[in-house]
Amino acid sequence: MIAWLLLLSLSTTSTQDGQENSVLRCGPQNVTLDYDSFLLKWEDDPSCSVIRDGLVYELQLLIADKPEHNGEVVVAPAQIGSTHSWKWTSHLPSQCARHSVRLRSQYNNQSSPWMQKTLPDQGEILVLPRDQILEVGSTATFCCMVPDGESIKTMFLYDYKGTNVTTTKISEHVHSLTVHLDQESENYSDVRCETTKGNINGASFHASYPPDDSDLKCETRDLESIDCFWNVGRAANEHPAMERTYQLQGSSCINGRSGKCSQKVKLDAAERNWTLTATNRLGKLEIHDNADLTKRVHMVAPDKVAASTVNPRNISLKWSWTVQKYSNLNITCQVDVSDGNSNTKTENIGVGLTAAVIKDLIPYWDYVVRVRCGTAQHFWKWGDWSKSVKICTKGDVPDALDVWMKVKADQAVISWKVPLTNQSHGEIFDYKVSWAKTKDKNQSNQTNVSRSNHSLTLTLDPSEEYMVTVTARNINGSSSPSTIIIPRSNLDTSEVKTSWISGSNGSFFLSWPDSPNASCGYIVDWCPVFGNCTFEWMKVPPNRTHTTVFSKNFEDGRRYLLSIYACTEGAAVLLQRRKGYIRETKIGVELFKLKYKQEDSAVEVSWEPIPLEKQTASIHGYILYYQDKSGNVFNVSTDDPEATSLTAKNLNISMYTFTVTASTAFGLCGNSSINVTLNPPADQLIMLILISLGAVFLILSVSTIICYRQWACIKHKVYPPIPKPVLTDQWLTLPDEHTSHHLHFDQSYYREVLDIPKLHDQFRPPQPEVDQDYKPFTFSQTPKGYYNKPLKKSQPCLTLPTTGLTSQPGLPSSPINGVFPNPLYNPSYNLVLQSVDREVKSGPEVHEGIPFIRSFSGYQPQSPDETFTTTELEEYPNSPISCVSTYILLPQKTSN
Amino acid sequence: MAGRSTRGINGSNGSRTAPARAAALADLLHYECSTLLELFRKKENFTEDVTDRRLVSVPPPSSQLDTRDKLWRIHSALLQCQKLLEKAVAKEEEELGGGKKGKYENKRKLVKERLPLLILSTGELLKAAEGTTSLTPSVEGLEVNVPTGLLDLKLWVYRVYKEVNYWSKTAANTLKELPSVIVKEGARTTRARNRRSTRR
Repeated sequence: MIAWLLLLSLSTTSTQDGQENSVLRCGPQNVTLDYDSFLLKWEDDPSCSVIRDGLVYELQLLIADKPEHNGEVVVAPAQIGSTHSWKWTSHLPSQCARHSVRLRSQYNNQSSPWMQKTLPDQGEILVLPRDQILEVGSTATFCCMVPDGESIKTMFLYDYKGTNVTTTKISEHVHSLTVHLDQESENYSDVRCETTKGNINGASFHASYPPDDSDLKCETRDLESIDCFWNVGRAANEHPAMERTYQLQGSSCINGRSGKCSQKVKLDAAERNWTLTATNRLGKLEIHDNADLTKRVHMVAPDKVAASTVNPRNISLKWSWTVQKYSNLNITCQVDVSDGNSNTKTENIGVGLTAAVIKDLIPYWDYVVRVRCGTAQHFWKWGDWSKSVKICTKGDVPDALDVWMKVKADQAVISWKVPLTNQSHGEIFDYKVSWAKTKDKNQSNQTNVSRSNHSLTLTLDPSEEYMVTVTARNINGSSSPSTIIIPRSNLDTSEVKTSWISGSNGSFFLSWPDSPNASCGYIVDWCPVFGNCTFEWMKVPPNRTHTTVFSKNFEDGRRYLLSIYACTEGAAVLLQRRKGYIRETKIGVELFKLKYKQEDSAVEVSWEPIPLEKQTASIHGYILYYQDKSGNVFNVSTDDPEATSLTAKNLNISMYTFTVTASTAFGLCGNSSINVTLNPPADQLIMLILISLGAVFLILSVSTIICYRQWACIKHKVYPPIPKPVLTDQWLTLPDEHTSHHLHFDQSYYREVLDIPKLHDQFRPPQPEVDQDYKPFTFSQTPKGYYNKPLKKSQPCLTLPTTGLTSQPGLPSSPINGVFPNPLYNPSYNLVLQSVDREVKSGPEVHEGIPFIRSFSGYQPQSPDETFTTTELEEYPNSPISCVSTYILLPQKTSN
Repeated sequence: MAGRSTRGINGSNGSRTAPARAAALADLLHYECSTLLELFRKKENFTEDVTDRRLVSVPPPSSQLDTRDKLWRIHSALLQCQKLLEKAVAKEEEELGGGKKGKYENKRKLVKERLPLLILSTGELLKAAEGTTSLTPSVEGLEVNVPTGLLDLKLWVYRVYKEVNYWSKTAANTLKELPSVIVKEGARTTRARNRRSTRR
C-alpha cells in the first residue's frame, strides 16, 4: 500500500491535446554537457529513489534542431541516485552546426519532460574541438559558434607556423577553420574566434607524432636481469602533453624516455622475444628484440683493482667481481696502461679472471691502469672500465747517456743530454767523466760533474786521440758508460763539402749518401755560425740516411751550420756540412757603409763585408743602382756574395745617387745610398794651365831679378854712354847753375829708382812690450792704401806724397795694389820695410822687431791712442796705412 | 597584545613609516606586474580589453570608509590575488607546459614572490589599526574555478594578472592616502567588518 502510494507520487496527470497523459516526476537534474567530448552528465531527481526495478533515460541528439541520434541509458536500481553519463563519439564537431541534446526518464510507460542542453549556451562562444592532440600530417577542422544576438568578427590560428589554413563563413553565427598540420607544435596552438562585440574564445591544439622508438637491444649484466636499450626518436624533445609511457614485457618502465629499461628476469640459454611498448596520446608502438641473453653478457667493471707486486719494469694486478656468476664464465680482460703520454692495452684470458701482469714498463714511472672484461665465448661487448689506479714502478740505474763533443784547437767540449725522466729512473746525483789517450788507456783522468751541469771542457793534446767516458749516477747506481773518441785535431777536413740548405716548417731536412764507415749510424750536430755555439745533436740509426732536425732553439734569420758525421768504432767521421736558415728574414735597410772613389768617368762604390749577424737572409749578390739628376737609373750587379765593391762606368759629370742593395730570397734588401758629385776632368786641365802659368811667371820673375841685378851691365851693353856733345855756340849755353842742376836731377832720379825700399814679410813673435801709442800692426792688412806723411826736414830723403792717394777711388781693389796679406791675422805678423841699398841713407831706418813706423819720426797717426781695427779702417778709408807699392813714391833728392 | 596595540597606536618609528614603506612596495609590485601583464599579453597576442571579468570580490570603495576599512579592503583583495596567482601559475605550468625559464617566467616568479611581502605589510598595518589579528580577512574558503579549456585558461590567467595589477595599484594609492600614524579605531568598525566578511 505504501509502495503504491509512493509510485503514485512519481507521476502527475496532465491534459494535453485533449488527452490525459501521466507525467513522470522522476527525471534528470543537474544536467551538464562537456564541450570537448560531448559528455552528458546528470543526476536523478530525488523522487526517483522510490523506484525499485530500474529506470531508463531516453536521449536525443539534435543538430540544427533536427534529431540526429537517439539513445538510452538504463539505470539499474542500485545506480539510482548516482550520477549518470552518456557520451556521443561521432563526427559532431566537424559538422559546424548548433547541437542540442535532450533527455527524459521513462518508467512504466510514463515519461518525464524533456530536458535540453544546447551548445553554445546563451552568451558563450564555442570553438570545437577543444584542446586536441593531433597528428602531424593530418588535417583538422575547427568550428566557431556563437549564440543568437552575436556575430563572428574573425576566426584565426595563433602560434602555429602552418601556412595551409582555410577559414569558411558558414553563417553569421558559425565559421569553420581548416588547417593542414604539416609540422610539430612547439606548444599549444590556438584557434581563436572573436565576436563583433569584442568577446574572444577559442580552442587549443597540439600537433605531434605518435611514438617512433626503434632499435631495441637487450642484454644482461648480472645474468639475473635484463637491460634493454632503444632509440627514443622524437620523444626526446616532445611536449609534456605528449609524454610517452613504456612497458617492457608488459611491465611498466619508470624512466622510459631515457631509452633504457631494466627488469628482473629468469634467464635460460634460449632465444626469446623481448617486446617494448611505447604509447602516447597519438598512438602505440611495439618494438622487438629476439636474443639469447646468456650470449649477451655486458660485464660490470672489475672491482678493487690494485697492484699486488711492483717491480722496476713490471707489475702484477689483481681485482675482484661483484657478480658471483662471473666466476664460471670464460673471461677476457683488457688492461689499459697509460704513462701520461700514450696508452697500451694488453689482454688476458681465463675463467673468472681476477689477475694480470703488465710488462715492459719504465722504472720510476707513474702509470694509470684500468681493466675491463668481456666474455671470451660469445663475446658481446666490452664491459665497463674499472676505476683507474695509479701505480709507480720502482727505480733503476739511469740509462746510458747520449754524449757528443766539439773540438776546437786543444779544447774539447764534452756534452751530454739531460736524461729525461723516463731515462734517469730516479733522481740523478751527478755525472762522472773520465778520459784517457787511446794509446795509453791506463793513464785515465776523471772528474765528477754536478747534476746541474751537462758539459765539460777538456784541454787535450791536439796531436793525440782520446777516449772519453761519461756515466750518470742515481740512488740505484751508475748508468752504463757512454764512450766517445776525440780524434786528433790535425785531421784534414778540407775535402768536406759545405752546401746550402733551407729550413722548412721550423726544421731542416737533411739527407746524405750512405757511408760504409757508419757502423753505428750517424750523428748530426748544429749550431749558429756566429755567437756562442751551444751545439746540439741528434743520432740517426745506421739504416737511415736522412733526418729532420728540429730544435726549440732555432731562430729565424739566423744562419746555422749543420755537420753530418758517420758513427764508427773509433772517432766519428765528418761527412758533410750544411749551412742555412730555418727561415730567412728580411735584411734591414742601411746594411752597407758605403765609400766611393772616382776614377775619370767611373766611380767605384765599396763597402765593408757584411757581418754574419746582419745577414738574416742569404745574400746571393749585390746590385749597384745609380741615378743621375735626370732620374735615369742604371745598375751594375754581381753574383758574388763576397764582393765588397761595384764600379759604375762611363758616368757624366753630374751628381749621382748610388744605391747598393743585396739580392736575397726576399728580393732586394739592405738598401744604402750615397750621393756623389763627379769632378769634371776640366778641373785638372785648369790646374795644369795654372801650374804652367805659375812656372812661366817664376821664370820671368827670376829673369827680371837677374836683369835687375845686372842692369848696369845690360844698360851698358845695350845703351852705351853717349858722349857729351861739344857745343860751340854760346846761345846754346845756359847758365851753369841751371844746366848743372838739371843734369844732376836726372841722374839722381835714375839712381834713386834703385833705392826703392824692399818690403819684407817677416813673422815675429808677439811683442807685448809694444808702446801703447803705437799699436802692433793689427792694421797691417788694411785694405786701404798706406801712405806716408811728409818727413821732417831733418829726416833723410824718403818723401811720400800725401796727395793723390786717398782721393783715388778704387785703389783697394786694384789687383796690384800690393796689400800685404796676413792670412793668420796675427798681430805679431808685422811688416818690415828694409832698404835694399844700405848705401843710400835716404830711406827710413828699420830695426828688427820694432814696428817700422817707429822709425818714422815724421809719421803721425791720427790719434795716438787709436787702435786700428778692420772696421775702423773701413769707416776711415783714408787713415790706415796703405802699402801700395805702386804709390810708394821714390824719395826725391833734395837739390842742394 | 596590549603592548603591540599601544605601540601601533602611538606610532613607533616603525609604524610611522610603515604605510609609506608598504606603498613603496605596492608601487614596485605594480611596476613588476605591469611588465608581466605586458609580457603575457604579447606572448599570447591578446588585446588589452580582451576580458574584463573581475575575479576579486571586495566591498566597493566609499568615502565613508575609515583607515581600517580601507586597509581591510586592500588586504582582502591582495589575499585573493595571491590565491588566484598561485593557482594560475600552477595551472599554467601544468596545462600549458612549463620548464622554460624565459623573461616571462622570471617576471612571473618575481611577482609571485613579491605579492606576499605586500600582503605581509598590509596585514601588519591592519593589525596596528585593528589592535587584534582575529578579524583579518581569510581566503581559506575561497573557491577558485579554473576553466577547463586551454584558451579559456590563458584568458583566465590574463584576468588574474590584471587583477594583481589593479589591486597592487589600488593598494599603492590607498596606502599613500593613509595617515603616517595608524590610529586604533573603536569596536564599531570591527563589527562592521564582521558583517562585511560574512556578506562576502
